[in-house]
This record gives sequence, C-alpha cells and structure tokens, in this order.
Amino acid sequence: MKVLCCLDGVNNEQISEAAAMLAAAEPLTYGLVYVIDVGPRGEIERTRERFMRRPSGPLSPRHSQMQQAEQASAHDILNEGLRYFPGAETLQREGRPEREIVNCAAEWNADVILILPRAEYGDKPAIGPKSVGHVARFVLDHAPCPVLLARPVTREQFPMPR
Amino acid sequence: MFFLFHLPVLTKTLLTSLVAILTLIGIMTRPFQWNEALIALAGAALLLVSGLLSPLDAISTLLHEWNTFFFFLGMMSLSALAEEAGLFDWLAVQAARLARNSASLLYLNIFLLGSLISMVLSNDATALILTPIVYVLITKLRLPVIPFLFACTFIADTASILLPVSNPINIIITSHFPLDLFTFLRLLFIPGLVVIGINIGAFFVLYRRKLHGRFDIKRLTSAEESIRHPAYFRYTCIVLMLVAIAYVIASATQLPLSLVALSGAFLLLIGALFWKRAAFKQLEGHISWSIFGFIAGMFIIVQAVETTGLTTQFGQLLLHLSGNTGFGAVMVGTVGSAIGTNLINNVPMAVVLTSALHTVQHAPLAIQHGFIAASIFGCDLGPNLTTVGSLATVLWLLILRQRGVNVSGLDYFKVGIIVTPLLLLAGALTIWLLLLI
Repeated sequence: MKVLCCLDGVNNEQISEAAAMLAAAEPLTYGLVYVIDVGPRGEIERTRERFMRRPSGPLSPRHSQMQQAEQASAHDILNEGLRYFPGAETLQREGRPEREIVNCAAEWNADVILILPRAEYGDKPAIGPKSVGHVARFVLDHAPCPVLLARPVTREQFPMPR
Repeated sequence: MFFLFHLPVLTKTLLTSLVAILTLIGIMTRPFQWNEALIALAGAALLLVSGLLSPLDAISTLLHEWNTFFFFLGMMSLSALAEEAGLFDWLAVQAARLARNSASLLYLNIFLLGSLISMVLSNDATALILTPIVYVLITKLRLPVIPFLFACTFIADTASILLPVSNPINIIITSHFPLDLFTFLRLLFIPGLVVIGINIGAFFVLYRRKLHGRFDIKRLTSAEESIRHPAYFRYTCIVLMLVAIAYVIASATQLPLSLVALSGAFLLLIGALFWKRAAFKQLEGHISWSIFGFIAGMFIIVQAVETTGLTTQFGQLLLHLSGNTGFGAVMVGTVGSAIGTNLINNVPMAVVLTSALHTVQHAPLAIQHGFIAASIFGCDLGPNLTTVGSLATVLWLLILRQRGVNVSGLDYFKVGIIVTPLLLLAGALTIWLLLLI
C-alpha cells in the first residue's frame, strides 16, 4: 500500500501518528509531498502592476531571494518529514497546493492520501463549517484515491450526548 | 492640427469629454495589456493633435506640476538607494527579533514597521520593497504567508495619509491646496492613527486562528548579515533621519517637498557611488519612468476637460451634494474619491479632484478643509477596497472564475471589501469631528 502524506511544515507529528495506525496492516511505502504555493508571489506581482512597476523578472535579486527562500524551506520541511518517515520518497511540487496534491497522488499512484483538515498554527482545531480548509476540501473532493483526514485524537468529549 | 476653424463650445466639450472618457476606459480595462502610460499619453496626444488643447496650455500645465514630478523621482530614488543599503532587510529582521518568537507580536511589528516606512518613504516603499522582504522572512519562519502579505499591502495605503510625503497623491492635491502643517496633522495624521489602529484590530480578528503560533528565530540570518556595507548603511540611516526632519521643516514652512526628496536622494547617490554600492544604471532600473508619462498624460487630459468647464460643474455638484456642511463635505469627498479611485485609478482621480476643488475655494474654510482632507483620505485608502487595482479588474476576475480559471485575486478582494469601508467610515467621521475643533 502506498500512503501519500501531505506536509505543511507544522504537521509532522500528527501525520506520523495517523500513519502509525496503518503501519500495522502491511509494509507501507510512504511518499512525502510538499507544495510551494505560488499564490502569494502572484499577489506580489499584482501589487507591482497596481503601482505601475515592471514585473520583477527571474533575474531580479528579490525574485531570486524569494525563490531561494521557498526552495530552502521546502527542502527543510521534507528533510524534517524524513525524520518521521525514514526511507520515504520526497515529492516537491510548485503551484496551487490543492491541485498539485491530487495530481501528485495520481502520478505517484497513491492508494491513500493522508492529510490534516487545515494547517494549525497553535490554535485548537476548528469544528463546524470551517473545520476543513480549502486545500483539504479540494483534495477530499477530487482525489484519485481514498483520503484519510487525520483529526487530532480527542477522547475527552466522548460519549457525545445522544 | 486637424481643426482649422473655430469649434462651437458644445462640440468642443463633447469631443474633449469623449477623448477623456475613452482614455479612462482604456486605463480601467487595459486592452491587450497596454501600459497605462501609453494610453494616457495617447489621449493627451489626441487632444493636442485635434486642437482641443493648445500645446502652450499643455506645457504650462506640466511646468506648473514640477513639484509632483520631482517628488516622484526623489521618492523612488530614496527608496531604491535605502533598499540597496539593506535598510529594509535589517528592519524586518529587527521586527522579528523584537517579537520574542510570537507570531502575533511579529504581526503587530510588521504593521508598525509598514506604517513607519509608509510615513517617511511613502506607500510605494512598503508595498513594493517591504512586501517581498516580509514574504521571504515569513517563508523562512514557516508562518502563514497570506496574513502578513496582506498586512503589508494594506498598511502601505492606510498609513499613507500620515504625512504629506507618505503618498504622492498627497503631493498632487496639496500642491494646489496647501494645508499648513498643523492643519494637515490635525485633519489627517490623527485620523491616520485611528484607521491604522482599526486596520490592525480588524486583521487580528480576521486572521486570529493563524496567529497563535510561535516561530524559531534561529531560522533567520542575523540582522547584521542584512547590512552589506556597514559604513554605507550608517550613512543611509543618517541621511534618512535628516530627510525626515527636513520634511517636517519644509511642511511647516511650505517649501516644496520635492526639493527635500531630491536632495536626500542626491546625498544617498553620492554615498552609493563613493562606496561603490550602486551605479546610475542600477538606480535607473528601479525607477518606473512610465509613471511620469501616465501623470503627464492625465494632467493634460484633465486640463483640457477643465477648459470646457466640466470640472467646475463637477465641483459645484460636489458642493451641492455636501449640503454646504462640513459633514457633507467630508462624506461626499471620502466616498466620491474612494469610488473614483477604484474606477479610474487614484492618480487620475486625484488630478480630477484637484481641478474640481477649485470651485470650493469660495466656500467657508471648514468646508474647503473638509473636501481637501477627505479627497486625500479617500484617494489614499480607496485602493484597499479592491486591492487588485480597480473594479474593472475585479469584474474581469469574476468572469474568469466563471470560466474555471484561477482567480486568487478575488480572495484578496474579499478582505478589502470587508475592512476598507470600515476604515473609510471611521476615518471620515474622525476628520469631521476634528474639523469642528
């Protein structure tokens, strides 16, 4: 079974705990995907247009600096992922995260995609309509294989009122 | 000239209006991705060639606006040379260090840093130089990018009403309607602080879920590594401090601010050449020369429209809509300029208002000040409404979305449409209350 684990820089522990549940089943092949989101750079270019500046070309120092930061960050995130999933295949993509994840899953022939509902930056997990972010929602809707949505383990709230 | 005979006034008015409207539509829609400057200059050229405006009037108009042109040149040069010194990179790293590993504190620091840079070096510097630097910083720190990116884009405009030099639009308007320093600070600096506070508060609420985290400062290089040449860096800091002081003195004594900007830029250029940090060609690459063409074209077109009396009538309409009250002046000025800025870009809107506001010069002082302050306020903050530049662009993005094309610009529009009306209302009310003093 090939399990695609979606990293976002802050979810290594949660993903590995969720993957541990599958590990008991059979030998698993892990792939770690990280997508460099090009949306923010597009917004920066739109701002330049608004101020009637020429687009910052690939040779401009700032453009290079932004790309280097993105590549370095992606490299570090994937390397950190390898500490939790030794021997996993690393897959780095660039584009819109939701689309790149489903395309990567199709190309890599993933049997399961493992993803968190949304990136959590220290806040407690959301519940209700906003509990699943737009990337996870798109992956749930368009994935070429089953999706395992890894929620944090919260047994304290059980049993729920019936 | 094509017309060798005297045109009836009505015909002249209609033809001039037609050229102006077509030019503005071209600027809004940018067919075939044409540069706005080319469109504006084409409109101006058509007016001159068809005899609707005499070349002498056009030259006189441009010469009269020398303060605006030189201010743009000085402002862009100052920012470019300060960037070369590593000042913005250094300030961004310091903002991160002072945040004590807290994402929310860093968010606040970025807002404050953006406000400071906008205030002294204008909104261009924050939006165009600070934003990519913050993007690199946030990417390295593994924090969510969008809130910080948006903070820079918004605060660039929100803080640009603090001082006359904070936005070139302020120079365009105050060149024709000078406000003494005390009046400017009273009617714009104080409301500026209010809207900055509301902007920060609103964004903290909007992005509260993404700002709980902490970051590891070790992921950043040290602030000292941002400084490529310590002596030039120190020299740049001293020159900029002198420029800031000179701006205040020049504002108080009504001296042209462009002279301060140009002098500061000249001093920085001497330093850059002395320490071999930059060359003329490098500096030239940082300056957007098309802006000068755009502004020149707009000044000529509006001058032509002014000769038909249309802008006077527009000014009278504004006065009528205001009900001849200070409250009305502030509200009409703010709403009108904010909407106009999103329809036709803030530079042409400021130029049109500058022409129209000559009508209110005979109104009571409170109404005059109300209109002037509101025009500056609305033109400065208005661009935050759509954030993608204009309502025409938003409509185009909506069409693209219906065709299934990626339209991430609309996501940013959603924030602008929520926060900006709030800022405009709060700022306008504050201006009105301060008018009463």
